[in-house]
Amino acid sequence: MTINRVRRWAAAGAGFGLALSLAACGGNVGGGSSDDAKFPGKAPITILVGQDPGGSTDLIARALAKQVSHDLGVPVTVENKPGANGALAAKELAGEKADGHTLMVYNGSLAYITPLAVAKGQAPDIADYDIVTGISQDDYVLVTSPKSGFKTVDDLARAGRQITFGTTGVGTGSQLSQALLFAQAGIKAKDVPFDGGSPTLTAVLGGQVDVGSIQLGEAIEQIKAGKLTPIVTFAEKRPSYLPDTPTAVETGRDVPVQQSRAIFAPKGTPKEVVDALRAAFQKAFQADEYKKFNEDNQLTPNEVDGEELRKQWTSNLDKYRGVIEKYQISLGGAK
Amino acid sequence: MDFGPVLDGFGVVLEPTNLLYCLIGVVIGMLIGVMPGLGPAATIAILLPVTFGIEPVTAIIMLAGIFYGAQYGGTITSVLLRLPGEASSVVTVFDGHALARQGRAGTALGIAAVGSFIGGTVSIIALTLVAPLVAGFALDFGPPEYTALALLGILLVATVSSGGRLKAVIAACIGLLLATVGRDGFTGAERFTFDNLSLADGLDFVPIAMGLFGLGEILYNLEERHGAVQAPTKVANVWPSRADLRESAGAIGRGSLLGFVLGILPGGGATLSSLAAYALEKRRAKHPERFGRGAVEGVAAPETANNAAATSSFIPLLTLGIPANATMAVIFGALLIQGVSPGPQLVSQEPELFWGVVNSMYIGNILLLIMSIPLVGLFVRILRVRATILAPITVLITLVGVYTVNNSVFDIVLVIFFGVLGYLMKKFGFEPGPLVLAFVLGSLLENSLRRSLLIFDGDPIGFFTRPISGTLLAVFLLVALLPPLRAALRRRPAAPRPDPAPQDTKELV
Repeated sequence: MTINRVRRWAAAGAGFGLALSLAACGGNVGGGSSDDAKFPGKAPITILVGQDPGGSTDLIARALAKQVSHDLGVPVTVENKPGANGALAAKELAGEKADGHTLMVYNGSLAYITPLAVAKGQAPDIADYDIVTGISQDDYVLVTSPKSGFKTVDDLARAGRQITFGTTGVGTGSQLSQALLFAQAGIKAKDVPFDGGSPTLTAVLGGQVDVGSIQLGEAIEQIKAGKLTPIVTFAEKRPSYLPDTPTAVETGRDVPVQQSRAIFAPKGTPKEVVDALRAAFQKAFQADEYKKFNEDNQLTPNEVDGEELRKQWTSNLDKYRGVIEKYQISLGGAK
Repeated sequence: MDFGPVLDGFGVVLEPTNLLYCLIGVVIGMLIGVMPGLGPAATIAILLPVTFGIEPVTAIIMLAGIFYGAQYGGTITSVLLRLPGEASSVVTVFDGHALARQGRAGTALGIAAVGSFIGGTVSIIALTLVAPLVAGFALDFGPPEYTALALLGILLVATVSSGGRLKAVIAACIGLLLATVGRDGFTGAERFTFDNLSLADGLDFVPIAMGLFGLGEILYNLEERHGAVQAPTKVANVWPSRADLRESAGAIGRGSLLGFVLGILPGGGATLSSLAAYALEKRRAKHPERFGRGAVEGVAAPETANNAAATSSFIPLLTLGIPANATMAVIFGALLIQGVSPGPQLVSQEPELFWGVVNSMYIGNILLLIMSIPLVGLFVRILRVRATILAPITVLITLVGVYTVNNSVFDIVLVIFFGVLGYLMKKFGFEPGPLVLAFVLGSLLENSLRRSLLIFDGDPIGFFTRPISGTLLAVFLLVALLPPLRAALRRRPAAPRPDPAPQDTKELV
């Protein structure tokens, strides 16, 4: 049912977007005098999403767009530019005018995991962007199909064969979390990248791969329905939604990997514009509807300011670089 | 079977917006069906940008309407003017026009409309029953199965399509090559991007389809001189008599079945099934000499079959995510643009979309039946529009349309490039269909193949040990090896059977 609702939203958004882009064309012909006006003026705001419609990043962008549009009084549309775990959208954002009218929901994995997986210069650097605000964090959970018979990490180790694990893509938290776990547990395993959470989930459900690491919000419904068995979560402490599933840390492995999201703007966005946007997002975070959205999707708020978020993500990058060197993991290995 | 979602689907169709778009779709389909030249694939490609602004279910309802609507429209000119509006109505010309000359044009059109309606409806009912069965296997479809399916789809379309097999295979290979452009999702390596940011995410489907099908076809048609046709003004007595209906009942029944089966097969579709249905009726008839001189069955059978096939060709697309012909490839592209990836999960994940589209076909067929019987004269008048007026307008719509998709001038350049390519391909006897299809399936094929090999640890034997992928690959080998084998066998006992198909069959699919 959720998917249908989202779809309708997406369609409405797209329709709206079309109308707006036409309107915007008309506006441009009249001369770009909106610079003088106070932000946001009358021009619409576009939030880029580097993932397909219907995924968790997309849902978050749409939930926020609705609230922020309400507060700023201009249309806020979500535009999906999927590709390379969001790097394409990030590249596009960097080329946009720094006027606060183009933003992006930036995934933490792109900032602190992708650089470890791809060649130097292929992944965008967060130093090239201004950060408006942090949004929330999402935990990964290692799941398997009940038919596989696996219940614990030790079961996997005892399987006596190579384990295949589905990831949501190269250079994602899904890949890093499992690579770290299996390296530390001494399990021989091979990664199979899919295009995002939903195809990975389907592959695990169908037994195409033995296990997969998926964001909690995307897996919770199937876990509750008994169609997926949670093995461990990669959270720092047990999420309240899965009180009986141990964390990887509890099982003695050092794997706290989280997905985190933030609102990014092109570098050089004027401070007063960033402040106005941050204020609008702060208000959005307080809306009851949005809070319920977070709860429904198992998201932990991380509504810190830009500087704090930059610190978090930079330290994650250093930490992860340290562990993958220690365990000699190659993330770009799926050739 | 749970009928809840099916009934909900009717709820979706009966929303006023969807009804309106269904009507728009079938009217457009009817119009382009009447006009020789632009086929449904080209029209749907040209209209892709329009679908961005509307909901996925509404968009697909409209595009589907164009496809099956064209099957109705194509009949009209076949009968009245000996001018098939669509490739799938070519055989209708023989008996349809003969009837018209005997002053029974109304009968021919009436029977065709009734047959189309029955064929379409039978197919929808079968689709409703078959789709959930396939969906039951949804989770068994992993990367190896998709690899086999994509391979089979490309091969079938390349081999069954009209024109030379070799040329079709070459076109398909070009399509596969074009699909490799862009950043590789497994390693992040840039392929054929020439450091151009517009190419980083690969070539977009829309400009390719619009160029090859839309612009290419318009350019090609400009070469053919067809001046304005003097359309007949009056068609009397469209309602078929009871005797006519009794005479063609068997043909309609067999046509429905044949069309349904041939429509499901990749590469089959409306054109092939109309030819097959005509041939079948002629062979069964007690007095085959009546055919070509105004036999009612000669109109009823192909018209029923092409409509049944047009509907059933949605089955492989909506249940497996494999387009069976060029038009389905364009609709596949439309779904992807809307963020819907068709596949075995579609029925359970997007029941509203799936059943909305399927059930809209009942409504569409009723609308078409209503339109084609009393409004025939109106549609015939469209033929008075000259190509010299129509072509520039269509080109303009195409170019403006593709720009609005991404507001990108690069896309306009792409359309022009692929338009010229499509024109040259047609001129030298290459069908653009296999190219577009291979392009659409190319990334599915590559990604699934690489995923499979990762799962199998590099051992390709794994493809054959899984039941579904093994079966599909066996079919693949059969289709690939059968024609050369048959050719080798045929060399000894000669005497080729004369083919009932006319020589000038233009593949418009």
